[in-house]
Amino acid sequence: MLLGALLTAPVAGAQDAPPREGYFDVRSAETKLVDGVHRLDARLQLVLSDEALDALSSGVPLTIELNVELIRVRRFVPDALDFELGLRYELEYRPLSQRYIVRSLNTGNQDSFATLYSALNNLGRVQDYPIIDDSLLEPDASYRIRLQALLSTRQYPAPLRMLFFWRDQWQLKSEWFEWRLDR
Amino acid sequence: MAARSIKRLLYGFVGAAGIALSLVALFILSRTAQNSAEFDRLANTILLVNIAGAIVLLVLLIGNVVRLVREYRAHAPGSRLKARMVATFVALAVVPLLIVFYFSMQFINRGIDTWFNVEVEAGLDDALALSRAALEMQMRERLAATVQIAEALNDTSSRQLVVELSVLRRQSGASEITVFGRNSQIIATSSDQSANSVPAAPQDEVLLQVRQNRPYVSLDPLDRGSYEIRTAVPLMNPRRPEIVGLIQARFPVSERIGRMASSVDSSYSDYKRVVYLREPLKRAFSLTLSVVLMISLLASIYGALIFSRRLVAPIQNLVAGTRAVAKGDFETRLPTPSRDEIGFLVSSFNDMTQRLAAARRQASLSQAQVEAERANLEVILARLSTGVVSLESDLRIRTANQAAGAILNADLESRVGERLTEVARGNPLLAQLVDIACMHLDRGEREWREQLVLRGEVGRRILTCACTSLPGDEDHDPGFVIVFDDITALVQAQRDAAWGEVARRLAHEIKNPLTPIQLSAERLRRKYLGSMSADEGQILDRATHTIVQQVEAMKEMVNAFSEYARAPDLDIERFDLDRLVHEVVDLYRVQERHVDLHLEVESNLPDIEADAGRIRQILHNLIRNSIEALEHSDHGRINVVVRPTEIGQARMIEILVEDNGPGFQTGSIGQVFDPYVTTKPKGTGLGLAIVKKLVEEHAGTIVAENRPAGGAIIRIRLPVDETAREVMIAMIPGRAERRRERA
Repeated sequence: MLLGALLTAPVAGAQDAPPREGYFDVRSAETKLVDGVHRLDARLQLVLSDEALDALSSGVPLTIELNVELIRVRRFVPDALDFELGLRYELEYRPLSQRYIVRSLNTGNQDSFATLYSALNNLGRVQDYPIIDDSLLEPDASYRIRLQALLSTRQYPAPLRMLFFWRDQWQLKSEWFEWRLDR
Repeated sequence: MAARSIKRLLYGFVGAAGIALSLVALFILSRTAQNSAEFDRLANTILLVNIAGAIVLLVLLIGNVVRLVREYRAHAPGSRLKARMVATFVALAVVPLLIVFYFSMQFINRGIDTWFNVEVEAGLDDALALSRAALEMQMRERLAATVQIAEALNDTSSRQLVVELSVLRRQSGASEITVFGRNSQIIATSSDQSANSVPAAPQDEVLLQVRQNRPYVSLDPLDRGSYEIRTAVPLMNPRRPEIVGLIQARFPVSERIGRMASSVDSSYSDYKRVVYLREPLKRAFSLTLSVVLMISLLASIYGALIFSRRLVAPIQNLVAGTRAVAKGDFETRLPTPSRDEIGFLVSSFNDMTQRLAAARRQASLSQAQVEAERANLEVILARLSTGVVSLESDLRIRTANQAAGAILNADLESRVGERLTEVARGNPLLAQLVDIACMHLDRGEREWREQLVLRGEVGRRILTCACTSLPGDEDHDPGFVIVFDDITALVQAQRDAAWGEVARRLAHEIKNPLTPIQLSAERLRRKYLGSMSADEGQILDRATHTIVQQVEAMKEMVNAFSEYARAPDLDIERFDLDRLVHEVVDLYRVQERHVDLHLEVESNLPDIEADAGRIRQILHNLIRNSIEALEHSDHGRINVVVRPTEIGQARMIEILVEDNGPGFQTGSIGQVFDPYVTTKPKGTGLGLAIVKKLVEEHAGTIVAENRPAGGAIIRIRLPVDETAREVMIAMIPGRAERRRERA
């Protein structure tokens, strides 16, 4: 009972209003082959939960990952996962400037936004992101590609990770959005 | 036993698995705390392992507790000790754990709380506000400068725009100023960066705000803790109020101010983050601690149960073994648990049971031997003609053999446990024996030997009797044993033999010289009577007459002895006793007129199977004996009574001859049937002896008594037929042997 209470209690203080659970959703995604490189265009809707928002406003940076998997379709045997790409972004609120920082952990580039909406909107808009050089793929093979967005808690201390593991509001993850790789 | 061992092994394995799972869960928990990826990967495993370990432990715990409660309620041996030990071990384990848990929780909560300080928080708030105020001042200045640049560029032609923009940029201190057109296309730009650098595009929020004809200013954090102020103002059409573009300027914040601002920002953020994470951290630590506590508690309680069970198991075995021994199972052997003190105790118990079993086997063997000897003794006793009766000190019959009952004419074997005095009621023989035994016991004589003469329904019995004490102990009454032999027949046989021998010798030694004496006396008389004087002749005549007369008397006596010694076979036939008695009595009625001879025969008198001649002799002897006893009596009277009677199962005929003479002398009434016992001056002393001999030859009984009113009674009982005779022979030990000898 004690464990249950500890695990199910909200991470932050009690809230009167119904809690916003938050969700991540991949609205659309496609790849296009430009100069021999497959580039990703995707639109995502990222809605943070109350606990995530509370943590963000308290200076806790959130890490949002966009996972891309390139799967080679095979007959008679299970498909092969040939390529994985993780686009990791850090969303942070800076109290001095009162701006939201969106930082790409892959490239180190960052942008700041006056509102969370702008920051999430920016995060949810992936445009011309190079995924893979077509020459690296097998010429005659057929591929499918899929995209998933999730809120990562790996960067937090272990006790927090254990606690967040049991909280639905910290388990924000979209369904895999899958499409065929046009070549 | 094997199933029990397997079950115990299985429980032990499951328990060990539960504890191992718990330990693995804790180990994984501690490992994954250092590795995020591993934690994410193993989170479910940790969860399952934790749940499985806890469930296994919980199930085992509940099972053990339920079992313990059942045993406790059923008062199973060792259950109370086990419950007490479990309670003690659980208390010993739980109390320190709870204390540690309590203080750990306090330490965690208070330790984390001490990280935070109200004054620090207020200082950080103030520093943040101050920094923000300072930067906002700069932002306002930069925005005003941008507005001025926009106004200045309004009057600038397109050709001079780039040059003017560069001048204004340098004057304002901006790092980059870019003029965007309606569609955000770059119209002109000036930057202190290289010429190839691309100016930063206005963000959506900038465009949105500018399109609303509102200036935009923001403090943008950059990499490495630096800041820049970004401003944007609409670029108006000089001729009409129309936004034709925007001017975006970026002003660097001085490195020093930026570093300080970044420091304040970072410190504030870090502090806020820590404040936010305080509760989750406390909860996470509490959670971890609780998990560890729960598993430790379950493991320690389970361990306490297992330990108690193992500790109590030998004691339970001992209790069960002791109960088995108490019930007589000495083959119980307990498994030796270890080499400690309990193991020593169990070994001692096993030694004890082993020795007890050996002792019992020995005792059983001895008992079997004793039983066999006792059975042999019983067989010997049963076959003995000697009566053996063992008695308790209070005269209760302990054992009695068949011969004892036969001699005393009582069923002693079926009345074991009863007092001999009670058994003796209605049995004159046994009553007399008991009286004599009691007399000796009253005198304190527990060992005595005596020849007893007992009087019973079937005559007197002569017993040689010996009594001796039996050995006893603390648990057993010593008691005593009475051994007796019926020597009636033996004595009688000895007497008969002796008197027979006497008779034969008399007949031989005395009768032979009598004839020469008689002939010599008659010859003397004939030869010298005529030559003697009258006086001398008279003397001779009288002397020879006396010699002849006495020789005749001696011949009669010798013939009587010969008759006594002679014992021809019985000539048994069925005849009417009534008629025989009448013939004999009528004969004496005629001869002896001075005696009133009275005969009384019952009408239902059956015929008798006997030797008629000997019965006639019996009647003659008895009546003659009574007549001789009444020689000097004026009113002599003889009553002869014949009637049917019974002794036990035997049908008898009683012949009773009584007279009103002087009777038997009191001192000699026991020997009236012995030869040469007579109170009459003319008697030979053989009349009653012959009568007794003839009666006994018929397996009958004869008793001599004195009448209370004076006179003698001879009571004869004769068996009616062969069946009754067999019964009588069986009742009188010695008769059968004598009868066999005679046959």
